[in-house]
Amino acid sequence: MNSHDLLLVHIGTVIEEDSLSLGQLCRACSIHADWIISLIEEGIIEPQGEDIRLWRFSGASLVRARSALRLQHDLEINLAGIALALDLMEEIESLRAQIKTLGHA
Amino acid sequence: MQYKDYYKVMGLSREASQDEIKRAYRKLARKYHPDVSKEKDAEAKFKELGEAYEVLKDPEKRAAYNQLGADWKAGQDFRPPPNWNEGFEFKGGGFTSDNAEAYSDFFEQLFGSAAFSSVGRGQHGVHARGQDSHAKIHIDLEDSFHGATRNISLSAPEINAQGQVQVKHRNLNIKIPKGIKAGQHIRLAGQGSSGTGSGQSGDLFLEIAFNNHPLYRVLETDVYLDLPVTPWEAALGAKIKVPTPEGSVDLKIPSNSRQGSKLRLTGRGIPAPAPGDFYVVLQIALPQANTEQAKAVYQKMHEELDFNPRQALGAYYQ
Repeated sequence: MNSHDLLLVHIGTVIEEDSLSLGQLCRACSIHADWIISLIEEGIIEPQGEDIRLWRFSGASLVRARSALRLQHDLEINLAGIALALDLMEEIESLRAQIKTLGHA
Repeated sequence: MQYKDYYKVMGLSREASQDEIKRAYRKLARKYHPDVSKEKDAEAKFKELGEAYEVLKDPEKRAAYNQLGADWKAGQDFRPPPNWNEGFEFKGGGFTSDNAEAYSDFFEQLFGSAAFSSVGRGQHGVHARGQDSHAKIHIDLEDSFHGATRNISLSAPEINAQGQVQVKHRNLNIKIPKGIKAGQHIRLAGQGSSGTGSGQSGDLFLEIAFNNHPLYRVLETDVYLDLPVTPWEAALGAKIKVPTPEGSVDLKIPSNSRQGSKLRLTGRGIPAPAPGDFYVVLQIALPQANTEQAKAVYQKMHEELDFNPRQALGAYYQ
């Protein structure tokens, strides 16, 4: 690595709540908008905003959409099953985090 | 190159039926799926499993693999015998997985080159935006408190001019913004895969996770510290110096504090737009009764304090 690489610092943008458009979410998951819409219909992710052009998604939606994509691809789970799996996994995660703060882990 | 025992990976005998292979894969895939499993090596196990299934589910590849013979041991140094796959015809469709980089050298040596050639990107005149890419990075809690610049190394598979997959490594210096929390993403525009033709590059999404900290635990934007205190500090109250990620503070312990009491320092958690709180959790430590003096103090407490911690258990246990 030369000194130029060391000096170049990339500054990104933090994805706050509700900051991705439908197009950005599709690109971030490399998936067609139809599939994202079917996730919304199943209640797996929820956009803010009334109109599809005004839809905004959070960073958490990005995590869920990408997990859903992997679960569908790797385990051939249907959307209802993915919704259930993601909800249960999130519950387990938050329980694990609580156990950790209680100092028993 | 090491020999891989795909039957052993899937816990099957060499005589397993195609149905058994499918069932074993489903079961193990659920167990080791990186989204589901919390086992440390889940991702490596899942990749290994995917590779084994890729071969064994396909009767052509399985037959070719079996041809190598049953005498190989997993991990043994392996060189494919000359013309080992003579007479086997692989009808393309080799990869169901799109992250070809997931496969081992062993797999690539046996099935790789043929399968990859079909991936060739000879399209002319196509201008497509590059794919967005994703990576998870681990930072220290302090980086979020103060902001930081971190050097991260990323590796991503790339298809070269010959249509072969190569893993490309690169280093990036990135700015960690103050107040970022675990699970949030930083988007770096134009740092994803390059586009084809004059298409733009994709974006790079970095998901933030915190390294385990020796002192603090983090829940969303709140930070927790276990603070050991003596019984008399808890009982009589005290002023104690405690560490926080922003430096030490003097903390007043109220008298008659209990084991596990939480003291909150509002706004001293992660400095996010809505800042978190800093919690001190009191852990009362008992001095050992290992000297005559210490024993005497405990004896005195026994005689002079009217204290029964088992009141709730009922009269029988008192």
